[in-house]
Amino acid sequence: MPAPASARAHGARVPVTMRVAALAMLLALLSNLALIGFVWWRTHDDALAALRGQAVEQARALSDVYADGGVRALRATIADLRDAGDPRFVAALLDGAGRPRDGNIVSHIPGAERHVAGFQIVRLHAAGTAATEEAGVVIRPLGRAGWLVSGLTFSERLTLQRTLERSLALAVVLSLLFGLLCGLVTAGYVGSRVRAIAVSVDEVGAGDLARRAPITGSGDAFDLLSTRINLMLDRISALMAELRLLTDSLAHDLRSPVGRLRARIERAMTTEDEAQREALLGGVLQETDALMRILTTVLEIGRSEAMAGRERFAALDPADLAAELAEMYEPLAEEAGVALVLEATPGISPARFAGHRQMLAQALSNLIDNALHYGAAGGTIALFVGVEGDMLHLGVADRGPGIAAGDEAEARRRFGRLDHSRSAPGAGLGLALVEAVAHLHGGTLRLDDNRPGLRATLLLPMARNSA
Amino acid sequence: MPVDADAPVNADANADEDIMGRRILLIEDDADTAGYLARGLAEQGHVVDRAGDGRDGLFMASDGVFDLIIIDRMLPGLDGLSVVRALRAAGIGTPVLILSALGSVDDRIDGLEGGSDDYLAKPFAFAELLARANALFRRAEGKASGTVETRLTVGDLEIDLLGRVVRRRGTTIELKPREYSLLEYLARNAGRVVTRTMLLEQVWDYHFDPGTNVVDVHVSRLRRKLEEGFGQPILHTVRGAGYRLAAA
Repeated sequence: MPAPASARAHGARVPVTMRVAALAMLLALLSNLALIGFVWWRTHDDALAALRGQAVEQARALSDVYADGGVRALRATIADLRDAGDPRFVAALLDGAGRPRDGNIVSHIPGAERHVAGFQIVRLHAAGTAATEEAGVVIRPLGRAGWLVSGLTFSERLTLQRTLERSLALAVVLSLLFGLLCGLVTAGYVGSRVRAIAVSVDEVGAGDLARRAPITGSGDAFDLLSTRINLMLDRISALMAELRLLTDSLAHDLRSPVGRLRARIERAMTTEDEAQREALLGGVLQETDALMRILTTVLEIGRSEAMAGRERFAALDPADLAAELAEMYEPLAEEAGVALVLEATPGISPARFAGHRQMLAQALSNLIDNALHYGAAGGTIALFVGVEGDMLHLGVADRGPGIAAGDEAEARRRFGRLDHSRSAPGAGLGLALVEAVAHLHGGTLRLDDNRPGLRATLLLPMARNSA
Repeated sequence: MPVDADAPVNADANADEDIMGRRILLIEDDADTAGYLARGLAEQGHVVDRAGDGRDGLFMASDGVFDLIIIDRMLPGLDGLSVVRALRAAGIGTPVLILSALGSVDDRIDGLEGGSDDYLAKPFAFAELLARANALFRRAEGKASGTVETRLTVGDLEIDLLGRVVRRRGTTIELKPREYSLLEYLARNAGRVVTRTMLLEQVWDYHFDPGTNVVDVHVSRLRRKLEEGFGQPILHTVRGAGYRLAAA
C-alpha cells in the first residue's frame, strides 16, 4: 500500500477513536455523577446548616455576655453551660498564641493561632471525651481578652453524613479516572476492531480483491459489519466477473457484424457497378442499425440488472398490457400462419401490481418474437397472464421444438445462441433481456417444457394486499 | 457521433414543399454533427442558426423567433434538459427536439418528461430527424391556429374526428381502434413522411425498438382497407424512411 494513502487513513481514524474514547468517558462520568448526585440528594439533610445556625447564635449570645459582664461573666456562663447544658457544647477562651483556656476544649484548635474568625469545622479534643471529634465552632475576637471559640461537637449522625459526603467527593474523583480508563479501553477495542476491518478494505482497494474483512465468530456488531462488507465485496466480485465476461463476449460478438460491415464497405468501394454499390450501401445501413440495436439492448440489460428504472414503476394491469401486445402482434402471427391466443385471468387489480410498462412490454415482445421465430411450426402461441398466490405469472408458450434441458443456461446467456438458431437473425440477447426485466421487478424467468414447446414465464412478485 | 453522414437523403422522402424557410436553432457542441445537420436542413430550405454550447443556445433561444430548437442533451456549460427547463420557465414555447447519445427507454422518457416535444437517440437517420421536425412544425401550426379540428381530409379520404368515422368517396371504412389511431396520426401529418419509430411512439406509446416489421404489418393492413376497391393508392411507402398519407 502506498504510504500517503496509509497515512491519510490513519489521520482520519485517530480522531474518530478519540471521539469514541471521549464519548465513553463522558458517558461513564455522567452516569457516575448522576448516581453520586442521587445518593447525596437522598442522604443529605440540613443538619450541618442547623448546627451552624446554633453555633453562630450561641457565639453571639456569649459575646453579649462578655459585652455586658466582661470576662468573668463569660467564664461563669461557659462553666454553667458546660455543666448543665448540651453535652455537645464546647467553648474556650484563646490566648494570644491561640491556646485554649477557661473552657472544655483541651486540644489546640487548628487555625486558632491565625485568628481566623467565623464559622469553621475543626477536629478538637473536648474535655471529658476519649478522642478528638469534629465540631462546628465560631471564633470571635473579644478585644483585649483575646478570642472566644465556642461551638457544638457533631452528633453521631452528622459525623456519619460528613464521612459519606467526603466519600462521595472522592467517588467523583475516582469516577473521573475510571471514565478516562473506560474511554481508553473502549476506544482501544473499537479502534482495533475497526482497524482490522479498515485494513482489509484498504487492501481490497489496493487491488487484492480476494481479501475479506475478519470475522471473530462472536456475532457482535463488528462481525455483522464485516459480514455485510464481505457480502458487498462478494457481490462486487461477481458483478466484475460478469462485466468482464460481458465485455469479452461483447467484443467477441461484435466482431462478426463489424466484419460484415467492413466487407460490404470494401466491396462498395471497389465495385464499378452503380446499382450494386447502392445495394451494398443499403446493406451497410441495415447492418449499422442492427449493431445499434444490439448495443441498445445490451445497455437495457445492464440497466435492468442494475435495477435502474424502478422509480418509473407504475400501477398497471398486466392483462391489459398482454392484450395490447397480443393485438400488436396478431397481424404478424397471422402472416406466419400462427394463432396468437390471449389467456388472461381478468380482473387483476392494477393496485396489486406495479411495473415498468416499457420494459415489460419489451420483454413480452421479445418472447412473442422468439415464439414466432422458433415455435411457429406448432401453430399456436399463447400469451398468458395469471396469479398464483403472491406471484404474477406472465409469459408466452409455444408448441415448437422448445429448449433441450441442457441448453437452458446457454439460452439465458447474453449473446447465447443455440446451435439450431445460429442461422436465424438476432444477437442472442432476447431471453437475457427478458430475464433482466424479471430481475428488475424482483422476479425470475422460468423456462418450462410445454410438451412440446417452450413455456417462458416471468414470475413477478405482487403487492401482498388482497385482490 | 457520426450520423450516417454519407447516407443519401431520399429526395422523395422529404418532398414536403409546403414546409420551407423555417428558422431552426441548432444547439450542438459536436462540430461534425452540427455541420452535417445544418447542411441537410439548409438543403430543405430552412434557415439554421447554430450555437456551440448551452449558454449561448439559451441566450439565442430566448428571442423566441425560432420555429424549432434542435438541441443536444449533453452540452458543455448548460446541459440540454436544463436549457429546455429554463426556456419553458421563461414562457417560451418553441418546439424542442432533443438529440442524445443516451438511448435507453428511461433516457427517452426522461427527455420527453423534461419539457421537450420529441427525443431522438443518436445515431439516427437524417430522414428520421426531418420527419420529426416536420411533425413538430405541423403541430405548432395546429396550436397557433387555435381551432379544434373536427375533420381531416386527405384527397377523397375523410376522417370525422368526433365520430371516429372514416369514409372514402362516401363509403364508410370499418377500422379497428388501433388502425384508426394509426390513420389519424398519418392524416394529421398528411403529405409528410412519418417513420416507423414515430408510429410506435405515437400510436402504441412504446419507446423501444421491437426489431421486427410489426409496424409495417399494421400499416399494410390499414392500406388494404383504405385502398381495396378504390384503385387509387393513398398510403405510400417511402423507401428507407417510412410512410406518407397523400392523395397522390
